[in-house]
Parts: sequence; C-alpha cells; structure tokens
Amino acid sequence: MNLTRRDVLKSQAIAAASAAAGISAPAAAQNIVTERERTELQWNKAACRFCGTGCSVMVATRNGRVVATHGDAEAEVNRGLNCVKGYFLSKIMYGADRLTLPLLRKRNGVYDKTGDFEEVSWDEAFDVMAEKFKATLREKGPEAVGMFGSGQWTVWEGYAASKLYKAGFRSNNIDPNARHCMASAVAGFIRTFGIDEPMGCYDDFEHADAFVLWGANMAEMHPILWTRLTDRRLSAPHVRVAVLSTYHNRCYDLADLEMTFTPQTDLALLNAIARHIIKTGKVNTDFVDKHVNFKRGNPDIGYGLRPEHPLEQAAENPDAAGGFTDMTFEEFEEFLEPYTFEYAEELSGVPARRIEELAEIYADPDTKVMSLWTMGVNQHTRGVWVNNMIYNVHLLTGKIAEPGNSPFSLTGQPSACGTAREVGTFAHRLPADLVVANPEHRATAEKIWKLPEGTVPGWVGAHAVLQNRKLKDGEINAYWIQVNNNLQAAPNMLEETYPGYRNPENFIVVSDAYPTVTAQAADLVLPTAMWVEKEGAYGNAERRTQFWHELAPAPGEARSDLWQVMEFSKRFTTDEVWPAEILDAAPEYRGKTLFEVLYANGNVDAYDVAETEEYPNHESDHFGFYVQKGLFEEYARFGRGHAHDLADFDTYHQVRGLRWPVVDGQETRWRFREGYDPYVTEGAGWDFYGKPDGRANIFALPYEPPAESPDDEYPFWLVTGRVLEHWHSGSMTDRVPELHKAYPDAMVYMHPEDAASLGLHRGSAVKLTSRRGDMLTRVETRGRNRVPRGLIFVPWFDANQLINKLTLDATDPISKQTDFKKCACKVEAA
Amino acid sequence: MPEHHLSSLVVHAKPDALDDVSRRLEDEGCEIHARSEAGKLVVTLEAPHQRELSDALTRIQLLPGVLAATLVFHHVEEDEETQETPA
Repeated sequence: MNLTRRDVLKSQAIAAASAAAGISAPAAAQNIVTERERTELQWNKAACRFCGTGCSVMVATRNGRVVATHGDAEAEVNRGLNCVKGYFLSKIMYGADRLTLPLLRKRNGVYDKTGDFEEVSWDEAFDVMAEKFKATLREKGPEAVGMFGSGQWTVWEGYAASKLYKAGFRSNNIDPNARHCMASAVAGFIRTFGIDEPMGCYDDFEHADAFVLWGANMAEMHPILWTRLTDRRLSAPHVRVAVLSTYHNRCYDLADLEMTFTPQTDLALLNAIARHIIKTGKVNTDFVDKHVNFKRGNPDIGYGLRPEHPLEQAAENPDAAGGFTDMTFEEFEEFLEPYTFEYAEELSGVPARRIEELAEIYADPDTKVMSLWTMGVNQHTRGVWVNNMIYNVHLLTGKIAEPGNSPFSLTGQPSACGTAREVGTFAHRLPADLVVANPEHRATAEKIWKLPEGTVPGWVGAHAVLQNRKLKDGEINAYWIQVNNNLQAAPNMLEETYPGYRNPENFIVVSDAYPTVTAQAADLVLPTAMWVEKEGAYGNAERRTQFWHELAPAPGEARSDLWQVMEFSKRFTTDEVWPAEILDAAPEYRGKTLFEVLYANGNVDAYDVAETEEYPNHESDHFGFYVQKGLFEEYARFGRGHAHDLADFDTYHQVRGLRWPVVDGQETRWRFREGYDPYVTEGAGWDFYGKPDGRANIFALPYEPPAESPDDEYPFWLVTGRVLEHWHSGSMTDRVPELHKAYPDAMVYMHPEDAASLGLHRGSAVKLTSRRGDMLTRVETRGRNRVPRGLIFVPWFDANQLINKLTLDATDPISKQTDFKKCACKVEAA
Repeated sequence: MPEHHLSSLVVHAKPDALDDVSRRLEDEGCEIHARSEAGKLVVTLEAPHQRELSDALTRIQLLPGVLAATLVFHHVEEDEETQETPA
C-alpha cells in the first residue's frame, strides 16, 4: 500500500470522527490509525479555553507552537467532539496584535493619564502601578482599591488574586465578570439549597425523558451538550424536548414543544406550572414532607439601580431584597391561586394549552426531567427568583438529585464555577462557600492562610456594577482588570463605565493578551500569557475540576496573571498596608512583604520546583517553588471534609477531571442523594445538607414587571446575546480571521413585518436608540434567529457596534447581576 | 505558502432528512464516510484555506434538517509537506 501522508491524516480524521459518533469506522480508516506516530507532534490534554461546558481537547505542539487540536476521545464531557470555537483554539494565541510588552500612558517620559501608550519594562510598569496603589491605600484606605477578575482565571490565579486583595490589601472590592453571568444562579442555589452549584451532572443527559430549555440557546452556545441532548432525543423516541425563549432560535429545530414568550413572563409560567402540579394532585408529598420548607420571598424588591432612581424610590423592599418568611404548604397553594394557565397566557403570549403540556411534563411522575438554563434566566432583574422557581417545580415533584431528574444551571465561562464560585472571588465570598461577613468564616481563612486575626475585613466589597459606579464617582481610584473586556461587556457603558476609566483621579490597569476596548481605555496595559502558555486548572458546570500543563511559551514578555499578581505583591510591605493594631498584636509580621506573608508562607512554597521538570512552568521557574501546586493544596484545605472535597493536585494531571466532592478518590455525580453522595447518611434518602435542617426551600414569588418595557416612544424590546462563532466580547475569536469573516459585523435581527412597517428591508442601515444611547447597524430579517414582532435581538461581540451603549444597568437586587436581556428601544432608518 | 486543511466532523441530521442532508453535504464538498440510521454522519472536509473550511462549516450547521454539526479533528500543514512523504 502506497499512502501519502495526506491519506494517513485523513484516515485518522475519519477514525476519530467515527469513534466520537459511535459508528464503526470504515475498514480502510481502521487499518491506518496505527500510523499516528508519523505526525511527529507532541500531544497533551487541556481544558478548552472557551465556554463553561469544560470539553477536553488534545493539543499538538511542534517547535513550541500549537499547530493542531482535536476533541479528546477519553474525555467524558465531549467524547472526542469539539465545537467550532474549540476548533480554532490553535489560532487564538497567534493574533497579529498580541501584546508582548507592558504599555504605559506617558508624556515627556513620565506617566500621564492623557499621554499615549509607550512600551515600558515590567519594572517601570510595576513601579508606577505600586506608587498609585500605595498612594490610594495611604490616602483613602482599602475601600478605594479594586479588582475586576474573571471566570476565565485559572483556579490558582483567582485564588492568588483573592488573597492579595482580601488579605494583602485588606479590600473585598474584588469581583469577577461572573457577576454578569452567574450571580443569580449562585444566589438561587444558596437561597434554595444553602450550597452552590448543580446537584446533578452531564450524565443526566443520557437518563432524562424530557428536556426543558428555559431561554438557553444550547444549539449555539453549548454545542457539545446540545449534541448529547440531540443524541438522546434521536436514540430514544419517547424523549421530548421543550424549548422556551423570547425568540425563535436553532434549538426549535429539535423542539417537540416550542414556546416563545414575552420577556419577564417566565415568572408567571413557572408559577402556573407549580399551581398545576398541586391542583392535579401530583405533589410528591412524601418527599415534600421530609425534605422541603416553604418560604414567602419579599416582593417589590426594586431593580438594582442607583438608590435615587425613581424605580428604587417607589419599591417596597429594595434594602431587604433577599428576605423571606416562613409559610405553610396551604399558604403556598393559596399564593399560586391567581396563576391560572389563562393568566399566564395573557402575560406571556403562550397559548394556555401549551403551558399545560409543559406543566404535564413536570407533573407526570414517570417522566424524568432535566431543566437547563443560562443567561436568559440569570441576566434578569428577577433572576434569583426564576432560579428558585425552577427548583420549586423539581422539589414539588421530588424530581431532583438523581439520574435524569435534574434542574441544571449551565455556565458560560470555563471556570465560572471552578474559580469565580468555588475559590470565591466575589466581593462577598471566600473559598468553599464561606463569606466575608461571617466572623467564623474569616477566622477559618486567616488560620489556613497563617495570617493574624482581623486581617480579612468583614465588609462586603463592591460588586461589578457598583465598582463601575464607584470609579465614576471617584470612590475607587486604583483598579486592576484581568482576563475580561469589561468596558465592552458592562451595561450602559457610556454613562456608567467609560467615565470611571477616564476619571482623572483613577489609575486603571488592564492585563490582557490583546488590545481590547478595555485595554485601550486603561492607563497601564500588562501583556498576558494565555491558556496553554501557563499551567492551568478550570472547573466546569458539572463540578468537574480539570488541569493542563504549560505547553507553549508566551510571546515576548507576556506573563500569566498569576505571575503578575505574585510579582506585584513583592512591592508592598505589611507596614505599608496593614493598620498598627494588627501588627502590634502580631509583631512577627512587621517589615515583611505581601509576597512573603501570602505566598512564601510555608504552604504555597511547600513544593519543590523540581517537580515541574517534565513541562515548562514560567511562574515556578521565576519564584523558585511549584507555585500552582502550593496554591492549589492550600486552597483545597478550605473544602476538604466540608462537602467541597478536591482530590490531590497530582491526580488531576492524570485524569480527565473529577467532579467534587471527591471523597476517598471517588467523584460524586449526584449530590444530596443517598447512594451517590457520601455526605448523605444512610436511610435519609435525600439530604439537602447545605441547610441546617437538611431541607431545601420552596419559594412563593410573584410575577413583577421588568424595569423598562416598550412604550410609544421606544416600542421594541431589545434583547442582547451571543452567536455561535463568537464568544463573549470577541477579543479572542475576532483574532481568528476565519471566525471574523463567518460573522463579521453584528446585525439587528427583526421581524420582516416590523421592518416593512418602518419602510426597512434586509440589509437596511438603521439607528437603534434607547434612553441611554444609540448604535448604527444593519437589519437582518432571516437567518438563525427569528424574533417575534415587537422584539429585536443584537449580538454583543462586535467592538465596532457597542450595543451596551443602549442597555440599562438594572440588576437583580439580590444577586446584583445585570439584566442584558430586556430594555426598550426604537429603530429608525439611518 | 499554500496550506492544506483537513477536518472531520459528526453531523446530526433529523433521521427522516438523512438522504437530503447527505446530498447537501456533498454539494458543500464534504465526503461522507459513514452514517447511522439514527441520523449521524461521519464527514471529512478539505480545503486549501481555513476560511473556506469555516465558511462551509457555518453553512452546514444552518442546512435544513441539520440539528448539530461538531468537529472532531483539525490539522493544518504546508501543502508540500502533506504530499511529499510517501507512507
């Protein structure tokens, strides 16, 4: 047989795809697979850089450069598959405008906020940065410094940054961009279960009899999970798929039941479903009696706007938004009385019989249901409520925490769970669900961190949107942004975000691999190593922790976020940043650098750099100890024995991830359920041990209108979101020319009849205007997203078309997460 | 330098649209190597530029009857390299 190299490659491609599809490969392909070694590439596993699914990819390097990737056939999550974004992983690091040196705004050779960017050394960059941070801490104290991090930080990056701020600078003004995507899900978990993150896992896809998508466009946003769902639907004919959304999207192609509803009315639909379950006698009374409490949530909680906003002035409970009182099952039933199918139809526009059909899926005791949601539910001024209400219907029927019965909160970022949530990089959190407001929790952190009592402050720091407001108002003056493009991503950017960045009193630092919109608005830009240019760990939506090694060098002088945080800490001493009373009580900490007390503390520096020999590791080489291992092992102490158990560091480099709690080497697929979760005692059946009495909460929560609805002047709903080919703000994917071409410019999707009534047609140039700003774009009336009349959809990835000039900075008053999914706007010919 | 891009993918089609989808995939320049009656197709796609590949992929995902299309394998080489070396 005389085969070209191309034949060999092709047979590998066929064999890999056949294996992933579960189809036996054609014989010719099977015979040639053994020639794999001919490719002369170094292959290693890595977690995908993009979404929260947590696919494992095989990454090939040659001469220090990533040249190929394929889906990891050994990975349980994606089983050899890879979505379009993952497909281009080999290119995201090699954009032509990659940052390789620090850039500082200068005039006449010195820092000047109004100057132009000039390349500087790391020393000069950190000198100026340290001077600004020290001056701010000296003059205004810890509440005037801040940091905005990311669900794309690796576990140890988020952990090291959190330590620097919460213990080093003694400031809780650190929050991740996950605030914009996950905060409502978190608050939903804590209110209902008292412990964060899903009880189920992706195995539920193969066990469920029905899938209900609450606003999630999985076909475009979670393509690999969508493939698993599609597989289940096509291979088991009894399986049904219900798709709910405010516009027709690609998921409708697979839908047995489709429901396009008016924004905000998911609240009414869920109450109507709960009412139906009770009225038809389908409550699982045994389960409810043993495992559930009923609570009445405070109503009329406002919209998380500035306190002087008329909507906040008019609200009854803006300051007690998360409050609730006890109630009985009978009172809950009474509360639901108004939510008939007819009333839900009136509000939502969905025919009553379809709502009943959906309610029956939940009510039928023989149908195992997996509910799935992401931003549609979370980016919602009542997002926490909707999370609570989805759990309501699963708890009423006892369809929870067992294979196939699974309310499942999806995530958008690769480590929204692993870093933002589990490490606790939110302004109110510490690792493993501990919170800064609780003195015992702070004491636990201080003990693990070997720090004096009182080091970690008890005040809750500023959340994402509040950070922007405080920057604008000059209350936060020294600010560091890592791994996100917040200027493009934050709501109402011209009024509430940009002014803070350019406020002359403020010094803004942005660490990024590329000159994003945010980097361009900064005063200092730090060039950053990304993805496999550093050793990393991510935690996905099903509690799976995954590691990868450093596989390729970063360009120029780019360094990881971890290196930056730790190196910067060397420039501060305890005497400069801690108050006298702490140092008087613990004089042995005097005169030490923050690096010494936070990282060279006997824990983090406990592992020899020699352990990293097999792979490159630029941080460990620099600091002289195995940085990632030390940070991880210190961090893991928070969770071990407390239902957040992580395996030992080395194990994760061997396996394709493990789902916590990992107890006695075994991962946990279903939490709270006897037989699956080692924390549930024998005979209990279920145990919602996040709550002191082991019972989950069902909440009575009403339908309340959104902060802004269409009216005569602004007659359209504006919904924003993502499209398949671009991920978040496009700062990585826009670097890939192929992806950019596939979807070069954002468009406004509108109904053809709405377009016609305005004298517009497909391709017309239009101006979109809200009460806050305007944007020029073009009309699209066809294609993948088909919106109903009266609603328009605009993707937000395009840096040249900043839709967040229009969006409203209303947030969920409980979670402080922004509602990007609904405000009012008008459309005019441009 | 001319390049050679090779990829393989799994396409999920509605089972009753399998023949129709197969024909459309071939029109897109795909080679179909295996199929299951449940609606899965194993497909390869080759092109001299990644752009053509990604454009085709976007079109494939939007074909009527296609529920999902996911990639498995992607390789890029300079063109001569793939042709020079006999097995």
